[in-house]
This record gives sequence, C-alpha cells and structure tokens, in this order.
Amino acid sequence: MTVAPIIQRCEALFDDLHFNSVKEWKAREPGRKAVGFMPVYVPREIIHAAGMLPVGIMGGGDQLEVIQGDAYYQSYICRIPRSTLEMGLTGRLDCLDGMLFPSICDVIRNLSGMWQILFKDKYVRYIDVPQNYQDNVGGEFYIEEMQVLREGLGQLAGRPITDDDLRRSIAVYNENRRAVQELYRYRALKPWQALSYEVYLVLRAGMVLPPEEHTQLVRDYIAAVDTEKRPQRDNARIVVTGAFCEQPPLGLIKSIEMAGCYIVDDDFMLVLRWLLDDVPVTGDPLEELSKAFLHRSASTASKYDVKKEDKGQYLLHQVKSNGAEGVIFAAPSFCDPALLERPMLQDILAKQKVPYTAFKYAENTGQMAPIREQAGTFADSIKLWSAA
Amino acid sequence: MTYTLGIDIGSGAVKSVLFRNDGNNHEWIAKRCERIRRRAPMDLAQQGYDELLDEAKLKSADIAYVATTGEGENVKFATGHFYSMTTHARGAIFLQPEARAVVDIGALNGRAISIDERGKVLSYKMTSQCASGSGQFLENIARYLGVAVEEIGPLSMSAANPEKVSSICAVLAETDVINMVSRGIATTDILKGIHISMASRLAKLLKVTGITQGKVLLTGGLALDVGLLAALREELVAEKMALLQAESHAESIYAGAIGAALWGAFRHDKLKQLAQAVNEAVPA
Repeated sequence: MTVAPIIQRCEALFDDLHFNSVKEWKAREPGRKAVGFMPVYVPREIIHAAGMLPVGIMGGGDQLEVIQGDAYYQSYICRIPRSTLEMGLTGRLDCLDGMLFPSICDVIRNLSGMWQILFKDKYVRYIDVPQNYQDNVGGEFYIEEMQVLREGLGQLAGRPITDDDLRRSIAVYNENRRAVQELYRYRALKPWQALSYEVYLVLRAGMVLPPEEHTQLVRDYIAAVDTEKRPQRDNARIVVTGAFCEQPPLGLIKSIEMAGCYIVDDDFMLVLRWLLDDVPVTGDPLEELSKAFLHRSASTASKYDVKKEDKGQYLLHQVKSNGAEGVIFAAPSFCDPALLERPMLQDILAKQKVPYTAFKYAENTGQMAPIREQAGTFADSIKLWSAA
Repeated sequence: MTYTLGIDIGSGAVKSVLFRNDGNNHEWIAKRCERIRRRAPMDLAQQGYDELLDEAKLKSADIAYVATTGEGENVKFATGHFYSMTTHARGAIFLQPEARAVVDIGALNGRAISIDERGKVLSYKMTSQCASGSGQFLENIARYLGVAVEEIGPLSMSAANPEKVSSICAVLAETDVINMVSRGIATTDILKGIHISMASRLAKLLKVTGITQGKVLLTGGLALDVGLLAALREELVAEKMALLQAESHAESIYAGAIGAALWGAFRHDKLKQLAQAVNEAVPA
C-alpha cells in the first residue's frame, strides 16, 4: 500500500464531523455501543472491555460553525467546549451512547455537568484523576473511580466487565501504544519522511477506529512511507507542546513544518501514549492500570506534579531523547492549564539553554501568515545562532 | 570549497545567485533576476537555477546547498529556507560590511532591520498589510501617470513643489493622486510626494528598531530608486536621525538571495555534526 490512500482515508475520517465511521461500526452488529471521551486521557481499556467503541471527541476543528455552543460559554472561554456542545446540540454526537469528561480544567468539568442536563438519555461521567501518587492513597482513589466507570459501562453494555475482558483490552492497547511509539520514533529519526501533518492524521484516525484496526493502520503507514523517497530539508528539529486539549488546525501543523521546523515530538492526542510502557496483563487489571497512571505516565499541564523539581522534566526528556533543538509553545487561547504552566516550563528551558518561542491558536484559526513568520524566524535563529 | 545557490522569490521578481565558498571567503560567480510578470514563480526559480548552473558549468550534484528565501518555502529542490529578514541582514553585510541597519523595500511591503556586524537581526519593524509603502503601489501610480519605472527616481529628484499623499492606505493614496492629477499638479511633484510619504514611513520604522547611527543599506526591488533614497535621507534629517547614513548598492536587489546563499554555506558546514548528534540522541 502507498501513503496516499492511507492519508486520504485518515483525512476523510478527520473531516467527518458526523462520525459516519462510528455509525457504520455500530451498524455492523446489532446492539453495539460507542462511548465518546474528551482529551487528555481516559482508560479506554474499560470501554473496549465492555465491547464498546471508544471515540475521541477532539472538538469541531476549523470547519464547524459554532452558533448554539456560543450561548453556553462566555467569549473568554476556549473553543473546544463550545464546538463540542455545538456538535452535541446539532445531533452530530447522537451516535454516542455515553460521554466521558476527564479532569482537564474547570471548563471541561462544567461541560460534563451541562452534558448530564442536556443529554439525559446518555451515560455521562466526569473522570477524576489522582492528585497523589502513592498506591495506597491516590491509587486507591483512582481504582475506585475506574471501578465506578466499569460498573456504569457494564450496565450500559448489559453485562458485567470481567477481569479477563479487561486483560484482553489491556493487551490490545499495549499493542496500539507500541505501534504509536514506533511511529514517533520513526518520525524523530526521519522527520522528512513522516511529515507531521500526515502523522497527525494517522493518529487522529485512532480517535474513531477500533484500536486493533488503528494499530494496523499505523504500521501500514510506517511501512508505506519508508518506501517513498522524500527530500530531506535543512529544518530545525522542534518539540510542540501545550496542544494537549483543543487541537490545532491542520493548517497550523503544516505551517510550522513549511516554515522550516520538523516536529520531532508533540503532545497532540496524548491519550494514545499517555501510559509510557506496557500495562501488565497479569494481576488485577484495574490495579495495573492505576500503577501505570501513577508511576509510568506522561506529564502535561492538567496533571498534578507532586514535587516542584518534577515540573518540566517530561518536556526536557522529550527534547533530549528526540534530538530536538528547540520548543514551540503552542497553546489554545484561554487554555488555563497550558498558559499557566508555560512560564514555569519556559524558565526550565531557559536554564537548560533550550531555545523556545510561543504563540496561541484556536481550533478554527485561519490566518497562518503570522505563525509561519514566527515559526520561520525561530527556525532561522536555531539554525544560525544557537550554541549547538 | 563548496558551491551554494540562493534563490529569493519576491512578489515582483525572482533573484538567484551562485557563490563559491572557501571558509570565510565567498566569491559571487553568477546572478539572475527575472521579473515575474504573471509567470509561475516556481518555474522561474527552476529556470534561474538551471541558467546559473549552465553559466558556471556545474551540475546539480556540485551544489552543496540550495537556499531559498522570500516566498520560496515550497521550492522542491531547496535544501533549506531562510526568512527574508535573516537573509537581507546577511546580504547587506556582504554588500556593505559597515551596514548596521537594512531597509528592505520590495513590491509588497517594507521593513527596517537593525543588525550587528555578523548580520544577526537585532530588531525589526515591518509595514502592515496596507500597500502604500510598497513598490507595487509606486509602480501602479507610475503606470497611471504614463511614466516608465526607471524614470520615477530622476523625475522625483527634479520636483520643485512636492505634494504629499496619504501614507496610511494605498486606496486613499491613489485617490490623492487622482485629485492631484485633476488639479494639474506636475508629475514630478506627485512622484516626489509619494517618495516623501514612503520615506517618512520607512524612517519611522527605523526609529522603532532603536538604531540611531551608522550606515543603513537599502535592499529589495526599490533600492535603486534614487528618488526614494534622496527622500529617505531628507526624512532622516527631518526625524532627527541625521547620524544614520542611508545608501544603496548597485547589487542591492540581490541582497536576499546573497544572504540565502551565504547562510546555506554556513549550514552546510554544520549539518554533518548535527546528524551525528541526532543519531546519538535517537537510537535507530
């Protein structure tokens, strides 16, 4: 298979705000159910173990006109809750039987409350996450949270979710994460081959496809792109951070690359690689999922750092382990977690002499010229004036 | 010794230059400037590249680095792209080593850049999207007035009573010019008035960059417009920036392409060591 049909398929899935692929998946077998989730992370293994399709709802992007959604939030709130509401109120999310709202910020917490009021026939749950990383404190709390979710989804499925169901699903997601990690490693090695907007589309397909199918798609893309000879440009190698919730428009990712930057790591759709390694398929499955979250998971602004010295370590690791030369802070306008954390991270980078630049976007940002100019001059400054 | 090629795709013309580099010695061996005139800029870039290689009797494989600038991000055969500020700064230092500021005024917009002796950009200020500070506006007005582009400068220099035009917006400025024509204002005075308005804007941009003394090199498509240069010198005095000495260079139009070629040579030397650093950081 060549790259073009893979990317065309992913692009079609990305553009489809009516989630027809989810409807088709449900129609293939009577009684199938799908459950949506918002960024940054939910234990999708539990949804999958219930025989349901986990569907990532990453906002309405730049093709959705928000009309009704604007009535629910002030103008100084980011766009993802408004576009998500717009999709819900216009029936685009009717194919979902439930919706999960992970702990990101107050806005998304409020959205979970709105959802409960507006969509009374749906299973709706706010997923709280631990602020304490000891197994007997935060771990117990988190296991209890997952147990409530397990029972709720079991009721929705009409059957209990067994430990073996969970173990099988953990194995499926272990394999999916391995494939995604392979893709990230491939891009870090050959960013001129795996262009970031293609990588983004391939990952985004994982928000609507069953994980088994997505794993194959990721590996097909790596195999296909490796057979193509693409020109290697003298671009600066950068990490994009801050885009873990509301997603940047595809044009922004293309613009960064066109401006002379190779993205060698990012935090788009972190759910795909939130857990850093395999979750053991033996033992108590919820306990193993909890341990993975507490001790072996990614870091982002919406996750609590227990120790001050932990702040920024994940970002520094992203920079060093990918041979990056700089960092672009790209955060959605009005994103409290990302924008509040930004000065702390910048301070850490400055101490480590890692160059950075910063800008804001919305999922429907259309004017890319200023971003291209900024990313381009940043790339020039790295290429010509960095100490390396 | 390496050969590097710089291609500057502007909104009015595509400029290409070829350099032979040996350490810090850079020898300029060929150049091309092609007005776009409704042709595809990418085709002109390819044409310029081919012609330079032919002239120098070189093959593609002999070129260590093809660097683009301006609107050249999508040139397929480029090794790397640099932004206009970066390349005009480096090109200015090549043409005039004493330059400490650049005024790049092309068909689309103008910008003032303060630089150091290495060609590093220290600060800059650009005109907004409004086109009254641009070469395209001046060319349009010359066409309305029935004046050839090459005549604009000398005619402006002979003005006796220049009439200033709006410096805010191209549409208002064009209205001003139409009114002047109907009032019987001499062409020379209209052209000088336009030059004063443009120069006034450029002087203000320079002021914002913070530079107060030293040589200022005009680059870009309008750099050889003697009327604009004269008006800029007058405006610098009027704005109490008389310690800035504005000047042009016969090859100023190539500044962006020159800067691209020279930065390309610099990057070529660095790329091998960077590749090794990446291989160590990201094991296969």
